[in-house]
Amino acid sequence: MAGTGSIAFDEYGRPFIIVRDQENKTRLTGIEAHKSHILAAKSIANVLKTSLGPKGLDKMLVGPDGDLTITNDGATILSQMDVEHQIAKLMVQLSRSQDDEIGDGTTGVVVLAGALLEQAEQLLDRGIHPIRIADGYEIAAKVAVETLDKISERFEVDLKKPEPLIRLAMTTLGSKIINRCHRQMAEIAVNAILAVADLDRKDVDFELIKVEGKVGGKLEDTMLVKGVVIDKDMSHPQMPKVVKDAKMAILTCPFEPPKPKTKHKLDVTSVEDYHKLREYEISKFESMVQSVKDKGANLVICQWGFDDEANHLLLQKQLPAVRWVGGPEIELIAIATGGRIVPRFEELTPEKLGHAGIVRELTFGTTKERMLVIEECKNSRAVTIFIRGGNKMIVEEAKRSLHDALCVIRNLVRDDRVVFGGGAPEIACSLAVASAADEISTLEQYAVRSFSEALESIPLALAENSGHAPIHTLAEVKSRHVKEKNPRLGIDCLHRGSNDMKEQHVIETLMAKKQQLLLATQLVRMILKIDDVRVPSDGF
Amino acid sequence: MMQPPIILLKEGTDTSQGTPQIISNVNACQAIADAVRTTLGPRGMDKLIVETGGKATISNDGATILKTLDIVHPAAKTLVDIAKSQDAEVGDGTTSVVLLAGEFLKEAKPYIEEHVHPQIIIRAFRKAGCLMVQKIKEISVKIKKDDPNELRVLLENCAATSLSSKLVAAQKDFFSKMVVDAVMILDELLPLNMIGIKKVQGGALEDSMLVDGVAFKKTFSYAGFEMQSKKYSNPKIALLNIELELKAEKENAEVRVNTVQEYQSIVDAEWTILYDKLDTLYKSGAKVVLSKLPIGDVATQYFADRDMFCAGRVPDEDLRRTMKACGGSIQTTVQGLSAGSLGTADLFEEVQVGGERYNVFKGCPQAKTCTIILRGGAEQFMEETERSLHDAIMIVRRAMKNDAVVAGGGAIEMELSRYLRDLSQTIAGKEQLLITALGKALEVIPRQLCDNAGFDATNILNKLRQKHAEGGTWFGVNIMTEDICDNFQAFVWEPSVVKINAITAAIESTCLILSVDETIRNPRAEGGGGPPGAGRGRGRGRPM
Repeated sequence: MAGTGSIAFDEYGRPFIIVRDQENKTRLTGIEAHKSHILAAKSIANVLKTSLGPKGLDKMLVGPDGDLTITNDGATILSQMDVEHQIAKLMVQLSRSQDDEIGDGTTGVVVLAGALLEQAEQLLDRGIHPIRIADGYEIAAKVAVETLDKISERFEVDLKKPEPLIRLAMTTLGSKIINRCHRQMAEIAVNAILAVADLDRKDVDFELIKVEGKVGGKLEDTMLVKGVVIDKDMSHPQMPKVVKDAKMAILTCPFEPPKPKTKHKLDVTSVEDYHKLREYEISKFESMVQSVKDKGANLVICQWGFDDEANHLLLQKQLPAVRWVGGPEIELIAIATGGRIVPRFEELTPEKLGHAGIVRELTFGTTKERMLVIEECKNSRAVTIFIRGGNKMIVEEAKRSLHDALCVIRNLVRDDRVVFGGGAPEIACSLAVASAADEISTLEQYAVRSFSEALESIPLALAENSGHAPIHTLAEVKSRHVKEKNPRLGIDCLHRGSNDMKEQHVIETLMAKKQQLLLATQLVRMILKIDDVRVPSDGF
Repeated sequence: MMQPPIILLKEGTDTSQGTPQIISNVNACQAIADAVRTTLGPRGMDKLIVETGGKATISNDGATILKTLDIVHPAAKTLVDIAKSQDAEVGDGTTSVVLLAGEFLKEAKPYIEEHVHPQIIIRAFRKAGCLMVQKIKEISVKIKKDDPNELRVLLENCAATSLSSKLVAAQKDFFSKMVVDAVMILDELLPLNMIGIKKVQGGALEDSMLVDGVAFKKTFSYAGFEMQSKKYSNPKIALLNIELELKAEKENAEVRVNTVQEYQSIVDAEWTILYDKLDTLYKSGAKVVLSKLPIGDVATQYFADRDMFCAGRVPDEDLRRTMKACGGSIQTTVQGLSAGSLGTADLFEEVQVGGERYNVFKGCPQAKTCTIILRGGAEQFMEETERSLHDAIMIVRRAMKNDAVVAGGGAIEMELSRYLRDLSQTIAGKEQLLITALGKALEVIPRQLCDNAGFDATNILNKLRQKHAEGGTWFGVNIMTEDICDNFQAFVWEPSVVKINAITAAIESTCLILSVDETIRNPRAEGGGGPPGAGRGRGRGRPM
C-alpha cells in the first residue's frame, strides 16, 4: 500500500490530522490502484464469460431470502450478485445501461470491457500512461464503429413478411433456457411487436405489451393474447364465466355510497334514523347498479373493491364485475377496449364504455387460480404475452428472455440495419482495427492493437462455450475473413457445419453492437483514469 | 520553591505556536495540494472516493475532491475554501488554484525556517500578486465580439480547453459545441439556472443532446394518463401550484351531518369544487397543465376526456424554468385564470429517451432556455460529465462576459514566472529573493502537466524557459507531442479572468496561512479520536 491517507509529521515530530478519521480509510494510489481495479473488473467478466452465446450456461443465484433465480442474462446476474467493490459496481451499471437502452447484449458488453482492461494491464506493465491507453482505445473504437457501419446490411421490416424477423428473434432466444420452444417464442415476440409497432414514427411503445406469467402447464402453452390478461376473477363465483360482446364500464370509484373526504360525523340517535341510513345505502347501491345497467354495460371493471352486499346485488342484477384491478391494467384495458376511465357514476355515458368481443375466465388445471382474458378488442394495439412454465424460475427466465427478444425486434424497427452475429462483426472489427494500428505513429499504436486483441475475446468465448477449440477455430475463421473478404463469417456455435452467419440467420442489430463497443470503451476509459482510491477500511 | 503550574485553558486544549506552527500548517497544505496534484491537465487522473455511506464519487474536479475528502485540519481547510471560491466564481481551474497555493507556501517555507518575518514574506507576495494580475491584463489577447464567427471560435476553444482534462476529453469537440450552443441560447444575463442538465442512464455519450427549450422527466401519473395526447403544437400552458385532487378543502374541519340526505349534498359539494377548478382550466384554453402538487386520477381522466395533457408533481426547479421560458405565471388558484397568465410554446411533446420518457417544450417565446440531456453508461460517469459540463459552461459564460483570453498549458504561468524573475533583479532587499521564489513556484503548473503525462519535466521546462526568455510569450507544454509549442496558435485558450482569480485567491490564502502563528483548538466534545499512533511513514506518496 502506498500510504495511509494524508498523515504527515512536521519537522518537529508532531503528527497532524488533515482528513477526518483518516486512520480508518484505506488509500490506493498509482499502479496499485489500476491493478486492483483491473482485477475486480476481470473477475466480474470471468463470471459472465461462460454465459455468452447459444451454448452458454446459466447461473443459479440464491437471494438473501432464499429465493432462486436462474438466468443467463448478464444484467440480471450482475444485479443479483450484490457486488461490493466499487469498480465491479461500475461494471454492473454498464450492463444495466446496455439493458435499458438496447435490452440485449448485456453479457457481451461486460466481457468486452473485461477483455479491454485485461489488455490494458499488459500495456501498463510496459509503462504506457493509462490515459494514452484510453486514447488509443477511443481511436480504435472509432475505427471499429466505422467498420460496423460498413459491414452492416439493411433489413426489410415488413409487416406482411414476418419470417426474417422471427429468425432474428430466434438468434436472441437461442442462448436462453427457453430454446426448447424456440420458434414459438420467436413468433410470439414478433407478433407482439408488430401488433404494437408504429412504423411511421419508427417506435414501439413497450407499455402496450404486457408480459404475464403463471406457474403451471408447459412452456409450449405460452400464448399471445391480442388483448389484455389480468390476474383477477369475477367478483362472485356464480357470475357468468364468459361474456360475449362485452360492453365494459371502467370505473375508478368504489361501489359504495360516496364518502366526503372532509372529516364528518353522523349521529344516529334513533332507530328511525338508523333505518333511514340503511335505506339510503341500499337505494344508493341500487341506483348505482341501475345506472351502470342503464348505460348498456354488461361488465364492470372496478379499480376499487365493493363489499359483499354490492356483490350480491350485482349478481342479482346479472351484472358481472371484476374488482381490485390495478391502475396500469385499468389503463391497458381502457386503451385496448377504446373505453374511457370513469371517475364517478354520474359521468358514465354509453360512449364511454369499452368494447371487447369476448371476455372469459381461464382456469388452470386443478388449481383454483383464475385469470381474465379480454380479447377481440376494438383497438388491438395492446397485447399480452402469457407465459406458462413448470416452475417459477422458468417462467421468470422466460419473461426475461422474451423481453430481450422484444427489445431486439424493437431496435430493428427503429433502425433497420443489422450485422451478423456469432462473433463475425467482432472478428471483422478486430481485423480492421489491427490494420489501422499499423498506420499510427505514436504510442497509441499499442493500445489500438490491444483493442483488436480484446475484440477477439468474444468469438473466443463463444467458441469455448460451444465446445470448439477456441484458438484453433478463431484462427481459421480469421484467415477466411481475410482470404474471402467475407465479413459474415463467425463461429459455428450450433455445429451446423457452416461459418456463414447469413446462412445460419444469426443476426444482431447494428445499434446494439455499436452501443456495446462505445459503452465498453467509455467505461474502460473511466476506470483507467482513476489512480487514487479512498475508501473506509471496513468497506472491503 | 515549587511554583504551581498555571492552568489557563481547559485540559486537553491543543495549543501550538510560533514558527513550528507555521511550518506545520504549511505541511498540511502541501498534503492537500498533493491530494489533487495528479488531476491536473489532459493527462490528469481521476480520484475514486468512497464515503462512509458507500456512495462513490469519481472526479477530476479539484473542488469536488476536496469537498468529499472531509478535511478537518484548520489551515488545510483554507485551501478547500479557495477551491470552492474558485468554483463559485469562475467554475474551473480549481485544481490549479490549490496547487499554486501549495507551491507558494512550499517556496515560503525555507524563509520561515531561516526566520524571515512572515509579514515581510506576505508583503512581498502581495506586491508580486498585484504585479502578476497587471501583467496578465496587459498581455491577454482581446477578441472582437462583433464578429459572431470569431466569438464562436473563441468560446469553443475555451470550452474545449476546459474539457480536455476531463473524462469526456475524447468527446470534447462534441461537447464544446453543445456547451457553446447552450450558452448562446441564453439571454444577455446568461443565468446559469436557465441551463438544465438532466441525466438518463444508458446510451453512449454521443447520444447526449441539447434541447432548445425545457425538458423534464415524465412525472408520476395516474390511470388515464396514457389516453392523453402526447403532442401539441402551440399549446397554452397553465402552471399551477394547486392540488387537483378530490380532497378535504380544509384540514381539521369536521362536518356534522344531521340527516342522511345531507350526506349526499356534501359529497356533491366536494365534487363540485374539484370540477369547478377543472372546468375553469378547461375553459381558459390551456392544453397542457403542469402542477407542482399532485394531479389526481379524477383530474387526469377529466383532462384525458377533453384532449388536454397534465403532469403533477413537477419539480419546482423545472416548473420555474418552464415559467421563465414559456411565460405565464405559477398560479396558486384557478380563480380569475386569464389568458395572460398562461404560457405558450411552439411545440410540446413527450419523447422517449433511453428507458425514460421526457416532456419537452420547444420554441419557448419568452426567456431563452435550454436543457442538456446527458447519456452515459454508469451513474458516476454521468455525474462526472455533468460536473465537467458545468465547468465548461461557466468558462464559456465567463468568456462571453470578458473577451480577453490567455494561452493555457502552462504558457501564462511560464510567462509570469519570467516576468517576476526579471522584475526581481531590479529590487533591492529581501523582497528580491521572495519574488524570485514566487516566480519559481509558478512553474509548478507546467511541471505538473509534464509529470502527469509522464514527460521529463526538467527538460521541457528548460526549453520553455529558453523560449520565454527569447520572447515567445505563449509557449507552453504540448501534451500530444511531448514537446513545447505556441499554445495560442494551438487554440489552448482560457479566459484571463480564470487565471487572475486563481492567482489572487492563491496569494490571498498563502498570506493568510503565513500570518497565523498559533492555533488554539478546544478538545473535542465527545473525546476520543486523538492523534493517530506514531510509526506511520510520511504518507504523501507521489503517484507511480
